[in-house]
Amino acid sequence: MNSTSFWKSRRGRQTTVIIAFLLIPVGLLILFTYFPFLKMVQFSFYNMKYIGARKFVGLRNYRQIFQRDDIIRTLLLSLYYMVGSVVQVFLALYLATVFCFKVKFENLWKGFIFFPYLISGIAIGFIFKFFYTRGFVLDSVLMALGFKLDNLPYWLKDQAINNWSLVYSSVWRYLGSTMVLFLGAMMSVDNTLYEAAAIDGANKWDIFWHIILPSIKTIVTLNVILSITGSLSAFEPPYVITSGANGTATFFVVMNDIAHTSQKVGLASAMAVFLLTIIIIAKFLQDALFRFLFRNAGTDEKPQKKVRRAVLKRGV
Amino acid sequence: MKARKVMAVAMATVMTLSLAACGGSSASSGESTQTKPAESKVEYDKNGPDGNYANIVLGETGTDISAKLKLLTHRTDMLATDYPGTNYQSYIDEFHKMYPNIEIDIEGITNYAEDALLRMQGGEWGDIMMIPAIDAEEFGNYFMPYGDLETMEGQIRFASAKQYHGTVYGIPSTGAAQGVLYNKAVFEKAGITELPKTPEDFIADLKLIKEKTDAIPLYTNYAAGWTMGAWDAYIGGTATGDSEYTNRKMLHTANPFSDPGDGSHAYNIYKVLYDAVAEGLTEDDYSTTDWEGSKGMMNRGEIGTMVLGSWAYSQMQAAGDKPEDIGYMSFPITVGGKQYASAGADYAFGINKDSSDENRMAALIFVKWMTEKSGFSYNEGGIPICASDNKYPELYAAFDGIDYVFDDPAVEGEEDLLDLLNADSELNLNNGGDKKIQEIVEHASNGDMTFDAIMEKWNAAWTEAQELNNVEITK
Repeated sequence: MNSTSFWKSRRGRQTTVIIAFLLIPVGLLILFTYFPFLKMVQFSFYNMKYIGARKFVGLRNYRQIFQRDDIIRTLLLSLYYMVGSVVQVFLALYLATVFCFKVKFENLWKGFIFFPYLISGIAIGFIFKFFYTRGFVLDSVLMALGFKLDNLPYWLKDQAINNWSLVYSSVWRYLGSTMVLFLGAMMSVDNTLYEAAAIDGANKWDIFWHIILPSIKTIVTLNVILSITGSLSAFEPPYVITSGANGTATFFVVMNDIAHTSQKVGLASAMAVFLLTIIIIAKFLQDALFRFLFRNAGTDEKPQKKVRRAVLKRGV
Repeated sequence: MKARKVMAVAMATVMTLSLAACGGSSASSGESTQTKPAESKVEYDKNGPDGNYANIVLGETGTDISAKLKLLTHRTDMLATDYPGTNYQSYIDEFHKMYPNIEIDIEGITNYAEDALLRMQGGEWGDIMMIPAIDAEEFGNYFMPYGDLETMEGQIRFASAKQYHGTVYGIPSTGAAQGVLYNKAVFEKAGITELPKTPEDFIADLKLIKEKTDAIPLYTNYAAGWTMGAWDAYIGGTATGDSEYTNRKMLHTANPFSDPGDGSHAYNIYKVLYDAVAEGLTEDDYSTTDWEGSKGMMNRGEIGTMVLGSWAYSQMQAAGDKPEDIGYMSFPITVGGKQYASAGADYAFGINKDSSDENRMAALIFVKWMTEKSGFSYNEGGIPICASDNKYPELYAAFDGIDYVFDDPAVEGEEDLLDLLNADSELNLNNGGDKKIQEIVEHASNGDMTFDAIMEKWNAAWTEAQELNNVEITK
């Protein structure tokens, strides 16, 4: 088979079309994601500003990450957001399960819970800024309930609770989207399974534990990964509500400050690479953990794989 | 509302007339510089735009030029038609009366300090921009020279603001002296008859305000962040009375944040903030201060004082019905029995060195027009830029008897040193270092770190940066 006839053949034209269609998206991906990423990795070995001379310093930037109190403290701070995200996943799972059974005004409630996700993060920041302001929304609601202003804490000033205030705004925002992901997965569970379970006399807890949870475990994993990476890279709540001051500066806020105010581009790039490494490690730990947790469940995966293999054999 | 507009127009007219004199005189001084040998090593083409700011005669030079210019500005507020002062369009309309064929397209950038740097890297940003914070040695790679320093000093104030090796690359849009905003009605109610001159007087006055009025004595504007950066503006000329301090001496000073014992220098500036917070003379909850809201509160007399640059004065006046209550005084600090106010330049106009000859010429004409004929600086309540213009705005009425200190530029070879020390110490003095000042408020409020300990920490950071850059300590 010579080359010209290959390009004219059916397979050849198929290849041409595939290449032509892939060229643009892959090109964009390389241009705007992989190339900048490689550049950033390169920058992380330099002492540099945005403009001006660059000096190669090897691993000094990486060493600095571990030597600076402010960066180490942000990692501890992301524990707040991780606790928040665990609460968020459990709450979302609970609500989604409730919605799986019959509920009155189901769509209305779903709408209420999902709505915050549609507002821009900056707007949410401003909403919560006024929400927590002394004597404003939250305080007046609590005062209407009988609390005295003098007994109420300063939600953003008191360093013992201000991070929880910020975490709450983040949970409020993302709860709906996590819940919708769970709901979507639960809807795809075959209804006959519920009926069969009901006939066998299973109660709602049994249905949840033995049918729903194993069926949606991929989504649970996904949500946990999203929440953990999200809590490591929390940015909007502290940046907008407190501008990262008063002990609320997360990793991203400190990185933004180092990159833009002090213009230590090299150090900031090293921080970004460092964060990526942590997220990758967290991902592997999670995989291991979930494999352990679901070691007995998940018999539903195998038949699916068989079907997929059959499709692959038949196809193209 | 209408009356104020009429007033503004009338003032603008008066201004233009008074400035006409300024334009005339500088034109003649321009001619004289031509005969004098320039100190700068570069010889500029006399007909080209480069280095010929002084030779431009407005209304005569380049009237045949037709060009379309693009200007990047940080003043997004001035692009709105409801801007309370003179907006950009009015300036351009006025400019068109003299140069009808030079069109100017203005782009406002909200997050200017950061975005402008990115735009510069991109290259094609236009013809004129407000020069963002870049190292002095980089000026020549991006901007067209206006002339050598000596010539330019005869033309404008703050000529050294954007110079490198004796060549000027930027012309400030306006200049300002740094002081403290106060509400005259609140001061009167508190029984303060004489403006404070020392930190002790100031704290005592704040206590009086707290006792006798309902106003917040000192509003920190902590939450906005950038508003706290204002405190850095006083540690140079205001706190030392020494024009060489900021750019020359401080760089070589060991532990510049220590207490000198005579009530002056940086230590005593920041101590005012620490003491005010520690003694409860600031707002109840600093973490939720509201910058936009604070302007109205200041105007209504709910706030006694705010430590902000003079640019804030007109905004406070415009925020309510009592513009006459807003006053501006020098920072209450005395150096050897005398009060000083450091004066400095705002963002400076830089012209793209890669624009076409015609565009650079047109841009040069526009910048000179903005400096000499527009009345921009006066309208914005600033110190006049044109060297022969001595019309200071109402704002500086309370600065009578106070010496203005214009910071000298860094000595040759050390133009970048302050930037380097700032970045390496991460104190970012006068360069967006808001976090460190917010920390003063936090520690003062929580009582978990003494003021001396904070200053020691800053000293340590400064020393480390000095060592990193091999700076010789002379004091």
